[in-house]
Amino acid sequence: MSVTTTVSLVGVGGQGILLAAAILAETAAAEGLDVKASEVKGMAQRGGSVLSTVRFGSKVWSPVARHADLVVATEALEGRRALAMLTPRGTLVCAVTTRIVPGSVLRREDEYPDDLAAAAAAGGVRLLAVDAEGLAREAGTLRAVNVALLGAASTALPFTQESWRRGLAAAVPAKILEVNERAFALGRESVGEEDEK
Amino acid sequence: MGYNRCPVERTVFFSGNEAIAHGAVRAGAGFACGYPGTPSTEILETAARLGGIHAEWCINEKVALETAVGASLAGVRSIVTMKHVGLNVAADPFMTLSLTGVNAGLVVVSADDPGMHSSQNEQDNRNYARFAKIPMLEPSDSQEAYDFLAEAFALSEEFDTPVLLRTTTRVSHGRGRVVPRVPVPLEPREYARDISKYVMVPQYARVRNRLVLERLQALRRRSERSPLNVLEAGTADLGIIASGVAYTYAREAFPKAWSLKLGMSNPLPYAKIARLYEQVSRVAVVEELDPFIEEQVRALGLPVIGKEAIPADGELDQDVVFRALEPFVTLRAPRRRRPVFPPAPHITAPLEPPAGLPVRPPVLCPGCTHRSVYIAMRRHKLAPMGDIGCYTLGALPPLLALDSCLCMGSSIGMMAGFNKALGRKGAAAVIGDSTFFHSGITALIDAYYNEAPGLVMVLDNRTTAMTGHQGHPGTGVRPDRTQGPAVDVQRLCEGIGVRCATVDANDYGALDAAIRAEVDAPGLGVIVALAPCVLTTRERAGEIVVDEERCNLCGLCIDIGCPAIAPPATAVEITDACTGCALCVEVCRRGALVCTGIEDGA
Repeated sequence: MSVTTTVSLVGVGGQGILLAAAILAETAAAEGLDVKASEVKGMAQRGGSVLSTVRFGSKVWSPVARHADLVVATEALEGRRALAMLTPRGTLVCAVTTRIVPGSVLRREDEYPDDLAAAAAAGGVRLLAVDAEGLAREAGTLRAVNVALLGAASTALPFTQESWRRGLAAAVPAKILEVNERAFALGRESVGEEDEK
Repeated sequence: MGYNRCPVERTVFFSGNEAIAHGAVRAGAGFACGYPGTPSTEILETAARLGGIHAEWCINEKVALETAVGASLAGVRSIVTMKHVGLNVAADPFMTLSLTGVNAGLVVVSADDPGMHSSQNEQDNRNYARFAKIPMLEPSDSQEAYDFLAEAFALSEEFDTPVLLRTTTRVSHGRGRVVPRVPVPLEPREYARDISKYVMVPQYARVRNRLVLERLQALRRRSERSPLNVLEAGTADLGIIASGVAYTYAREAFPKAWSLKLGMSNPLPYAKIARLYEQVSRVAVVEELDPFIEEQVRALGLPVIGKEAIPADGELDQDVVFRALEPFVTLRAPRRRRPVFPPAPHITAPLEPPAGLPVRPPVLCPGCTHRSVYIAMRRHKLAPMGDIGCYTLGALPPLLALDSCLCMGSSIGMMAGFNKALGRKGAAAVIGDSTFFHSGITALIDAYYNEAPGLVMVLDNRTTAMTGHQGHPGTGVRPDRTQGPAVDVQRLCEGIGVRCATVDANDYGALDAAIRAEVDAPGLGVIVALAPCVLTTRERAGEIVVDEERCNLCGLCIDIGCPAIAPPATAVEITDACTGCALCVEVCRRGALVCTGIEDGA
């Protein structure tokens, strides 16, 4: 079972979850691995929760999995929600400064959770808290939150820089490739030595 | 004219189709519609001659079913008639109607044509009952056709499901003696809005789907004790399972056989079938067309004589049945086996979201003009029949702006049926531009032809937005984004003969005025609320400024469900996602929101 690695990407419709998943899948393919990816689209652009799953290994059978070894979350509440799908000692890479408030919180029927770090620790999950919005702004566009975060997540994935470069080039449209490469590099650099161990 | 005025002792001589119409009236049906098709046609023709029931031909079977659903919602027992292939046309609403269920009873009549006397195929529509997981009744003669209607409507209301009444040519067109019965007393069934029951967006449909699976189990228990499923004793060591007209052939061919007569043939009564096997050592299933009953009996692990003997195509009769079964009944009886009843299916438990975390359903985008239409409509107290597209999201909190969503193009037919059953404009229809072209047009033509009153809102955002902005005939945009010829919605409506006005959906005042005018106008009218999808324009129309002194945190602006309005701390806050559509300015009663900046001189 464990020969297949599962990465789940979660966020809010419109944040580019599908693009981030495509980059990851292309990168794994560039490593010569078998890859399967799966997501539910349709309402993805309308601000709902979005989940995309990428699985890689020597041979991947199922395109879906209930549990993930690594979760990339482009929004804090979605990251909090995704803790439930992480395997023990899994890693959550989360855009902690990105908060998209759902309607029920706007209407004060619910509260936006503030316990991400504590809940991650309680669940034995390794949390990489990333200011992806700041990094994306630094790279040149707020829309690159997804790719900046993927850059941070790349430190937890067994792929070479060259494969990531090829993955980005294969999945990102040419006219926005450069800014996304910048965001990816900033994200990767943002993860310090102590974060990595 | 109607038998209601006849003494009940008198018998009459009816075709099966006449008996269905009379039986429907006796059962209190007030609304009948359909599309002509042999052998179903005379049901509606008879209904039209009878008093006490409204009868109309619809433009096609899909619109007919949607219209009947509207009438059922309005509280009137309804019957919709078609031939077997007609149910293919109506399959879209039919399949999801199983999930929503009904208000007043609803019976779908499918008249099949084994032997293709007058048809292009001989599909066996009993499969549709299993497919849709709904109960099916199969009368075998005119008396049963008459009687089964009362049972069909009762089942429909008790189990909250449409009921399929399936006939074949020999039942529909065969004639026989009918003893009329006293009318069925009816309880009024007022319309009650129930969004999670009638709006089949995924989160509600998943819940309904589990109820359908549970309902099927309950219906099977009913089938076991239904007086329509009768085990009849014989003297020979032969048992016959049959339904519909095939039962009459089998009884005539093998008068001494035991028989299990199935008047309710979906879901099958397994225990009753097993009881037949306790009486005899050989059992045959006599059925026209598909091995519908046979395969289910075999699945119980019971040996059966079926399609290896009985022809799988064309009509049967007593000679065919006798010749087919005779060689088999003289064979040595098979070894007795105990039936194995299938266990109740495992039904997935509802997925509970992690405790304490707010859910995030999809929402209408900031600046989406669908929201403006819903805000302008809500004061008018018309039950808004919805359709499928981004605008379906308006059914979710906080807008709660739609009462129904059944299938593509269903809104207009449902509105028409609802309003005709009510006799006034009680419902409106809300449909997107792409959906209007998909199958709304036919329903609009039907509403015009059948003189249904109502207001149809076409939410024209110039694209098929929900699926990712594809083109459609109203935009002329092709898959490669090149431009082809486009159809104009307003000219199309006017070509039909329907009153139609187009308003700029970004101009709230104009939209509000147009809706007010159309609500007060008699008959049928269309308003095209026109504004390109905000995701395709991404233009910022202005800036909303909050006057913190005036904002009293009343929440009226929050209640329009705009994701760009942030939770109030000391006053509401407008976020970067705002497009400046200024709908929040319209709903604010304290003048605390002001739209500044970009003026387009409108």
